[in-house]
Amino acid sequence: MTGVADILDWTRQQVIARVPKADLDQRDPDYIRDQLPGLWMLASLYFRADVRGLDRIPAHRPVLLVGNHSGGNVPPDTFVFTLAFCSYFGVERPFYQLVHNLVAVYPMLGWLRKFGTVAASPENARLALESGAAVLVYPGGDYEVYRPSWQRHVVDLGGRTGFVRLARETAVPIVPVASVGGQETALFLGRGRWLARLLMLDKVLRLKSVPISVALPWGVNITDWLGHIPLPAKIVIEVQEPIEVTHDDQAVYDEVVASLQAGVNRLAAERRFPVIG
Amino acid sequence: MRVERRITLNTDRDTVWKVLGDPDCYPSLLPHLERWETTTEGPARVGSRYTVLWKIGSIPVGGIAEVVEFDEARDLAWINITGVTQRGRFRLRDAGPGRTTVTFRLAYHSDGGLLGLIADRIAARQVGRSLSESLKNLQHLVES
Repeated sequence: MTGVADILDWTRQQVIARVPKADLDQRDPDYIRDQLPGLWMLASLYFRADVRGLDRIPAHRPVLLVGNHSGGNVPPDTFVFTLAFCSYFGVERPFYQLVHNLVAVYPMLGWLRKFGTVAASPENARLALESGAAVLVYPGGDYEVYRPSWQRHVVDLGGRTGFVRLARETAVPIVPVASVGGQETALFLGRGRWLARLLMLDKVLRLKSVPISVALPWGVNITDWLGHIPLPAKIVIEVQEPIEVTHDDQAVYDEVVASLQAGVNRLAAERRFPVIG
Repeated sequence: MRVERRITLNTDRDTVWKVLGDPDCYPSLLPHLERWETTTEGPARVGSRYTVLWKIGSIPVGGIAEVVEFDEARDLAWINITGVTQRGRFRLRDAGPGRTTVTFRLAYHSDGGLLGLIADRIAARQVGRSLSESLKNLQHLVES
């Protein structure tokens, strides 16, 4: 057993060593400007996205944007919101998105760093916030993004309260960002946490889930590591009122979850059909 | 991409200019406006700046516009200094006694090469509709 533990530890260290330290200078506003038309077409024509309430985001101070996450490894809510934020405030306003370590080291996704994507860690987030930027985080991460499709309107951040501590330490407000539609881009059947434990991926890669879904073009899709072609589900995002971190962590966490859930419930009530919206 | 719409109003140029020469009236004039903020002080003049975002497709599109031409009761033109590259103009001309023709012109260009060109063309229909609605709102404001 010692041998197995050593191998797991070695593999984990190798992954961690490859996670790039956040270099905020890798964000490239001109590159983002070049990509906006393509993203705009994808968001407007394919996902028929609707983004509301951007005026609730404080315009002249750092802010921690906290969203509920959906869509497996191809989460449309992230890119739709990034597009909307960059269009509303201009590509000149520094804006960073925190992503899972594996996304940060994935060789074919290096271009994401030009959008301001950095590996999700308290150090990177603090670095970005202290530089005066807006930071988008999905605390539910790989846990929430693989929830079954029939729980698509349930906000479940998995009890991860680190973002509250981060907001408190950097004295920035939290702005909840509620979205619906992402979990309808494939038929997600379950998180497969038992499979993650069986394969010991939870220890090696910090992966709590090995999701099982039915998705294009694979049919039955296990892990979703190669991504999938998302169905053209209508994505609706609504920014909620900012929350100042003035009370204890658990109370703020509960307030953020309640705000997100209320927003999701409101948006879900407008939907008549899955995918179509 | 250049989009242009025109309307002839049963009122004189000075009356039309009272609305078009006062950008504070624009939120009631321009449809699908997501954000309108005056970023410079004082009345409108060459150099005045406004943050203008219209909802085109799924998201707000626009940026900071600066007035580059302010010729009373004749022309008001602006360019975008951030966001989508854009040049806009309200052009007022006599159309007979007590009548004015107003032309609303918008030329814009997205970055991104071929994708930018395609996006511009796709957006043109909605932009055209927005210009037409703006002119109808203007007609309602000055003729009612």
